[in-house]
Amino acid sequence: MGNINDYRIKPRQVADKAVQGALQEAIGLALDVETEALRHNTQTFNQNRYIAVQKIDDYEDLKQRARNIKEESIADLPDLIGTLTKTIEGRGGHVFLAKSRTEATGYITNVCLSHRARLVVKAKSITSEEIGLNHELENAGIEVAETDLAEFILQVSKEQPSHIVAPAIHRSRETISELFKRNFNTDLPLETGEELTRFARDILRKKFLSADIGITGANLIAADEGAILLVESEGNIRLTSQLPAVHIAVAGIEKIIRRTKDFGTFIELLAASGTGQSLTSYTSILEPPVELPVLNLNGRTDSKREFHLVLVDNGRMQMRDDEDLRETLFCIRCSACMNSCANFQAVGGHAFGGECYTGGIGGAWTLGTTGNIDKAKFAELCTGCSRCVPNCPVKIDIPGLNAVLKSRLMEHSGGPSFQQRFFSDFSKSADIAAMAPGLVNWISNLPPTRAIMEKVIHIDRRRKIPPFANRTLSKQYLQYRKADYPAQGGETTSSVVVFADVYTNFNNPGVGMSTVRVFDRFGIPVKLSRVFDDGRGAQSQGLLKDASKRAGELAPYLVDLIGGGDEIIVMEPSVLSMFRRDYRTLLSNEPQFERIAAHSFDPFEYLEKLTAEGHLEINRHLNITSWNTRHIFYHAHCQMKTIGAGNSAVDFFSRLRFTVDTSNVECCGMAGSFGYKKEYYGVSKRVGDDLIDQIKNALAADPAAVILASGTSCREQIRSELTVPVYHPMEFLEQLLA
Amino acid sequence: MTGVTEQTEYSADLAGVFVESVRNLGATVEVIKKSPETLCVSLQKATDGEQFVLLADPDFLEPELFDLFRQDKRVVSQPTKEQLSTIHAGVTDAFCGVASTGSVCVSVSKNLTSPASLLTRKHIAVVDAGTIVQRPRDVFSAGSFSMKNLNRSFSFITGPSATADMGPLVIGVHGPGELHIILLSGRDPHGV
Repeated sequence: MGNINDYRIKPRQVADKAVQGALQEAIGLALDVETEALRHNTQTFNQNRYIAVQKIDDYEDLKQRARNIKEESIADLPDLIGTLTKTIEGRGGHVFLAKSRTEATGYITNVCLSHRARLVVKAKSITSEEIGLNHELENAGIEVAETDLAEFILQVSKEQPSHIVAPAIHRSRETISELFKRNFNTDLPLETGEELTRFARDILRKKFLSADIGITGANLIAADEGAILLVESEGNIRLTSQLPAVHIAVAGIEKIIRRTKDFGTFIELLAASGTGQSLTSYTSILEPPVELPVLNLNGRTDSKREFHLVLVDNGRMQMRDDEDLRETLFCIRCSACMNSCANFQAVGGHAFGGECYTGGIGGAWTLGTTGNIDKAKFAELCTGCSRCVPNCPVKIDIPGLNAVLKSRLMEHSGGPSFQQRFFSDFSKSADIAAMAPGLVNWISNLPPTRAIMEKVIHIDRRRKIPPFANRTLSKQYLQYRKADYPAQGGETTSSVVVFADVYTNFNNPGVGMSTVRVFDRFGIPVKLSRVFDDGRGAQSQGLLKDASKRAGELAPYLVDLIGGGDEIIVMEPSVLSMFRRDYRTLLSNEPQFERIAAHSFDPFEYLEKLTAEGHLEINRHLNITSWNTRHIFYHAHCQMKTIGAGNSAVDFFSRLRFTVDTSNVECCGMAGSFGYKKEYYGVSKRVGDDLIDQIKNALAADPAAVILASGTSCREQIRSELTVPVYHPMEFLEQLLA
Repeated sequence: MTGVTEQTEYSADLAGVFVESVRNLGATVEVIKKSPETLCVSLQKATDGEQFVLLADPDFLEPELFDLFRQDKRVVSQPTKEQLSTIHAGVTDAFCGVASTGSVCVSVSKNLTSPASLLTRKHIAVVDAGTIVQRPRDVFSAGSFSMKNLNRSFSFITGPSATADMGPLVIGVHGPGELHIILLSGRDPHGV
C-alpha cells in the first residue's frame, strides 16, 4: 500500500464526480492508498454498532419512533421553522433562514465582521462544508480553526472528509504522523496516538482561548424550546459553543423536530448507530443563548452572549417536494449506512462520495443540495446489497434511493448504456444462448470475444463468464418428472413451487434440481414454476420502469399459485429479496406485495418452518455419520441477511450436528453484475478479499471443510480465487441424502 | 410495602447498574453517605496533589454539602480568567445520573459548572443516587428535567473525553481525561 501523502492525485482533485474520469481516479486513489485504514476503522465501527444496538432492548420500536418523528417533522416543516424562530427570538437569539449557500455564508461572514472577529473556532459540521463556509470566511480575512481532531487533520492535509462522522477515517496513525512532521516545525515526538493528540490539543487550546466566535453544527433542533442537540466525544463542541461570547449554529432545516422531549428517542440511536457507543462522551442540549456568564478568556470585553441559528435550505424544500428524495431528509447522519457497506469499507468517501456527502446516503444529499445529478455519479457504487437497510436508525431505503439516482443519471445521459441494457435484459440473451449453450460458452470466453465485450459492454475480461447450462432447469425438470420421479401427493398439506428464476434456470439448473429432489425425498409435493424474469436485472441497473413492468407481469402468476395453496420457494437470494422487499415499491400494489412476500421462502427457511410446525422430521431421512467432516463454512448472501433469511441454513445444518462457521462480511463484493463491470472490477475484487481470507482460514483449520454460499454471484466470486468446490446449501444437502 | 420503601429499593438497584456502567467507561466512581464530612474527605482524596481546585457552585445539590470542602485552601470558587484556563481539577454537581450508560448530567447555567467540567484535566462530579434514571431518554421525562428552577441547557457526560481520530483510541482530548464520580447515597453505601 502506497502513501497518501505522496500520492499523485489529491482527494480534492477527484471530489467532484461530475468531472469526467473523477470517479475512476478516486477509486484508484482509494484502492491504492486508503483501503487499509478505511477497512480497519469502518469495520470497527460496524462491529461495535452490532453490539451496541443489541443492548437497546426496544431497538426496533425505537427506530420506528424515530422514523415517525422525522416523518411528522418533515411534513410540518414550514410550521416548525416558524415556531422555532419565535422561540429563539423570544429568548434574545437570532434566526436566519438561508435559501442558498451564498445567503448562508454571507450572513455568517457579516456576523463575524460585525464583531471584528479575527479568529473563529469551528466544530465539525458537514453542512458548513456543503455551503463552503471556511473558504468564504477566509476570503473575508478571518482565520478558521477546525477543532475536531479529524477536521484539524484535514485542514492540514487540505482534503475533504471521507466519512460524515469520522472525516479522516481514511488515514492511519502513520500517515498522520508523517503529515504533521512535514507541516509543523516541532521537536516534539509525533509518533503515538497520545503524542499526536496532545500536540493537536495544545495548538487548539490556544485557539480556543483566543477565539472571537464559535461555529457549530447541530445534530437536531427542537422547535418547542429552541434547543439544539450536539453530540461529540472530544469536548471541542462544548468549548466552541461556550467559550466565545458569540455562538453561531449552522444546520439544515431538516434537523428540526417539534419537541425537545423527542431528543430522548434519538440520542441512544445516534450514538449506537454511529460509533457503536451507548452514548458518546458529551451529548449536549443547549437552549442558547445560554445563561453561562461571558468568560472573555480571549481578552475581549463582550458583555453578553449572542446566538445565531442559521437554517440552511439550499435545495431541501425541493427535496421535500420530490417524492423520491424526500426520504433523504429523515437522515440523522449517523454513518451506519457507510460502516455497514462492503464497498464503502473498501473505498471510503473520497471515491464513494462527493465534495462533502459520502456513502450510500451521500448521493441523494449531493443531488438534493447541488441540483446536479452528475455529481452523484458515485451512487453507482451502491450495489443494492441492502445491508444498510436494517441498520438505518430512521429506516431509509437507501438502495431504493440509489436505484432512483441511477435511473436519473441514465435519463440525464440520454438513456441506458449497452452495459445497462445487457444486464437488464440478461434473460433475453439467456433465452437465445440456451439454444446452443456449448457454442455460446465457447465463443463468449474466446479472447477476441472478451475484448469486444470489454469494449462494448465493459465486462471485465478478467472475469470468467458463468457458463450457460447444457440443459435448462425447466427441461431437466420435465425429463425428471417424465422418466425418473413422477410428481406425487405428499405427507404435508401444502405444496410448493420452486421458482424458475433466470439465473437458476439458465446457469445453475443443478441447484434447482437438487431442491426438487430433496423436497421429493422429504415427501413435500413440489412443482417447478414457469421461467420468469423477476426484474432484478433491470432494477440493479436503474431501469426502474422495466423492472416495474416485469414485476407487474410476474405478480399475478405468483398470486395465482399462492391462491391455489402453493408456497413459493426461491433459490436465488436476490430474487427472494425482490419478492420480499423491492416489490413493495416496484408493484405499487400493497396487498399483492404483502401476499407474495408472505408466501415466498428460501428453501431452508421453508424446511425450518415445516420442522418447527412439526410437519417434518429431517433425521428420519438422513444417515450422515459417514460424512468426512463436521465443519461447514457458510456465506449468507447480503440481501438474504437483510430480509431475515440468512440464518436458516445455519440453523438447519447445526441441528444435524455440523459446526457451521459463518462469514462476517456484509457482502462478497460481486453483487450480481457489479463485479463484472470493468469500472468496478477492482473494487469488487478488493471487497472479496475479506471473504476469501475467511474461507482460507476455515480451510486451514480443516481442509475438508465444506464451503457453502447461497448466492450465484457469491459462488462465482469465491471461485474466482479458490479452486475448492463451493456449493449451494441445497446441493450439499442432496449429497448428504445420497 | 410503602411507596418510600419501593423507591429506595428501586434506586439502589439503579445505583448498582450505574456504578458498573461508569467503571466500564474508564471513569472511577465511589459511593458515599450524603454529608458534608464524608463528601469533604472524598473530594480531598480525589484532588490530592492538585495545587488548586475549581469548585463550581452547585446547580442542584444543597450548597451546604460543600461547605466543609470549601474551607480547603486550594479551593477556588471565584476564579480569575487566568485560573479558569489553568486549574487542573474541577468539582461540580450533576443533576442526574443515567444507569445504563454511566452518564452524569451537568448543567450549562449561570454557575461555572460547565467550564469546571470542561476546561480542566480532571473532573469530579457529585451526584445524588436518588436522581439516577434507567436510560438516557428517561432524563427528558424525569422530574428533575421539568423543574422550573433548573436551567435546561446541559450535557450528558459519559466518561472522559476521547478520540480515535489519530488512529488508536486516546483518552483525554479537549475535555478532561479523568472523570471521577461521587455518588451520594442516603443509605448505607456498602449496600450498593
